[in-house]
Amino acid sequence: MVGAFDYAPAIVLLPFLSFCLAVGVALSGRDLLPKGGALPGIAATGGSLLLSAWVFLTVSGGETYNETIYTWAAGTEATGSLSQPLELTFGLLLDPLSAMMLLIVSLVALLVHVFSLGYMNDENETGLPRYYAGLGLFTASMLGFVVADNLLMAFMFFELVGLCSYLLIGFWFRQAGPPSAAKKAFLVTRFGDYFFLIGVVAVFATFGTAQFAGEHSFPHLAEQAINGEATVNTFLGLGPEAWFTAIGLLVLGGVIGKSAQFPLHTWLPDAMEGPTPVSALIHAATMVAAGVYLVARMYGFYALSPTALAVIALVGAFTALFAASMGLVKNEIKQVLAYSTISQYGYIMLGLGAGGYVAGTFHLLTHAFFKALLFLGAGSVIIAMHHNEDMWEMGGLKDKMPVTYYTFLAGSLALAGIVPFAGFWSKDEVLYEALVHGLGTTSGLGTALLVAYGMGLIAVLFTGFYTFRMVMLTFHGEPRSETAEEAEEGGWNVKLPLTVLGILATTVGFVNMVPVKDLTGAEIDFLHKWLYGTEGAGWAEALGTGGGHYHHLLFADYGAGMAAADLPSYLVGLLSLALALFGAGSAYVLYGGADPEPHTEKLGSLREVLYNNYYQDEYQVWIAERLVLPLSKVADTFDQAVVDGVVNGVSSVSLFGGSKVKKVQDGLVTHYAAMLTVGLTVLLVGFAIYGGWF
Amino acid sequence: MVPIEYYLVLSAAVFSIGLYGLLTRENALLFLMSVELMLNAANINFVAFSLQWGNLTGQVMSLFVIGLAAAEVAVGIGIILVLYRNFKDVDVTLPQSMRW
Repeated sequence: MVGAFDYAPAIVLLPFLSFCLAVGVALSGRDLLPKGGALPGIAATGGSLLLSAWVFLTVSGGETYNETIYTWAAGTEATGSLSQPLELTFGLLLDPLSAMMLLIVSLVALLVHVFSLGYMNDENETGLPRYYAGLGLFTASMLGFVVADNLLMAFMFFELVGLCSYLLIGFWFRQAGPPSAAKKAFLVTRFGDYFFLIGVVAVFATFGTAQFAGEHSFPHLAEQAINGEATVNTFLGLGPEAWFTAIGLLVLGGVIGKSAQFPLHTWLPDAMEGPTPVSALIHAATMVAAGVYLVARMYGFYALSPTALAVIALVGAFTALFAASMGLVKNEIKQVLAYSTISQYGYIMLGLGAGGYVAGTFHLLTHAFFKALLFLGAGSVIIAMHHNEDMWEMGGLKDKMPVTYYTFLAGSLALAGIVPFAGFWSKDEVLYEALVHGLGTTSGLGTALLVAYGMGLIAVLFTGFYTFRMVMLTFHGEPRSETAEEAEEGGWNVKLPLTVLGILATTVGFVNMVPVKDLTGAEIDFLHKWLYGTEGAGWAEALGTGGGHYHHLLFADYGAGMAAADLPSYLVGLLSLALALFGAGSAYVLYGGADPEPHTEKLGSLREVLYNNYYQDEYQVWIAERLVLPLSKVADTFDQAVVDGVVNGVSSVSLFGGSKVKKVQDGLVTHYAAMLTVGLTVLLVGFAIYGGWF
Repeated sequence: MVPIEYYLVLSAAVFSIGLYGLLTRENALLFLMSVELMLNAANINFVAFSLQWGNLTGQVMSLFVIGLAAAEVAVGIGIILVLYRNFKDVDVTLPQSMRW
């Protein structure tokens, strides 16, 4: 029977086809496609969405898929203590996690395509086929990354995602800012990806396979190796636990780069130079989501290493706080959103690191919708403001753009974590997991989680403040410029995506209301059940990617060794809700007037530090110029002097010798005859002497 | 019967005369003649050893050498003709352009 899984490759191939079509049209140089290529893109992502929904329904029926489709290189001998030779393959892994992510990515991609009609086509941008080609390839690579069944394939699509972000951030390449932002995004994420690449090689060298799920997957082998049931290669004289931690941290390098975690977050605010729909796609569903999705994808591996988990949680929590503090003082609407993205991905990392596999994934889900909504809402505002992004020139847009205002408000309430919007449920579950695991675990991991929880809690306050500062400045008060007075809302292609996402941002949190479950006892934690599967049977047992299995690993002695304290989740939720309300309320009080004051100016030098992003860019440039550049110059000198010197020396000796010896060939035939004779005589005399004829 | 040494001395003398001509003369025709002398010195050796060992192989080889010499003269005369056409002379030291 032909089922959804047989058509699953088409989910990736459809946007790729739209990419090929758009590239073909762009190369032909003629305006062959209506709407500059938007319609094939919409059709392709729509098709992907339908197929993803079909896959989702099939998976919810308890079926999963984990097959290799194509083997492009296979080894002949196993190395070291491995049982089977290496194989490099492409394949699909469709389990509840990837099915859910497919749905998110294809839905957001579809809405971004529709919104682009309003943001790009209606604004008479040029180079639209190039734009839609980029969007198509971006969507295709992210979908390919989501369904990847092994780490190498994931790495390839990870790199493709990075490439597409480069192409799209630099879409307006004739201006000064975008090309430099594109290069920065590419280079900074590439820096993280070097570690990821080493991690991929290390996984292959250690386990001989990079499969994510099943009997011969590397998380499963790692678990067996720690239990002593299987042997793997370890290096540098480390034991399995220490070596697995090292691998996990190497792969985490790529995650930190792509998900814009400290200290590799600096590319993301600059990436705002790209078109706003691209920002929505990058931040909500593709590029930045790729990093944390990878952690969730190989969670069975990370759950074995308390050190790696502690690093994930601390990096995430620190990033959440750090980025939120910078978001407090920004003046441009997209900059505030950029820092909120970094901050929210910090929360997702915190959730995953704190042992909240479901919580982290849940926040990934809700964040995808409300952040896509906020970016598209900001895009709608930017259209109305004729590409002026300064919030101090806006104000009073509430009545002129009602659809944008109410959807943006829904997204902001979700971002700030106000009940009952989506962000509340997910963010509080993340914080709850961090707290209970931090209190329950006695090892160093517990302390780390408590510190991370503290930072996450302060960030909640900041989030509420900067979110509502943004809302107040943009939509409330009196218009502070002529453009703001004459602002008009866009057409259906702007309102439709906003409405869809607005509804989702309001309601998607209801799939996992843990505090309500704890209060009432009603079994409404659907996402938990979805990601856990039926314990001990079905796909969760076969693939080893179920939440129950991860839970087991986290609490096992050979795994992270966690324990949970007994705390009612609604109390923890109330605390962070109060903080969020306090932050949002103070923003309302400070900026709610008809003509708000720039209160952050009063912070003085602290504001300067925050506004300049803690001088992160400056110190990274300093490292590049003062450390890396001299080092490269030394290497260059070595290359020029020693390596090239040897090569040039050899060739100049030959040249000099040749220039002397060639004089023998003077063109006089008698001289040649004489040389022949002399040569023969010398040979004869030589033979005579050595042959003993005399 | 004449001893073999006499033939060998004769052959060596003829070969040396040919070699001397080759190294000292500038006329291309004299070059050809010198080469003929050297080839025939070899022929004398072949025939002399053939007689010594009572074996016909050497005489057959000398027939081959005569044939080869005829072919060589044909080519050599052709070269000399071209030489004359280009330089109005048959002096082998004149063409010097085939060099480094």
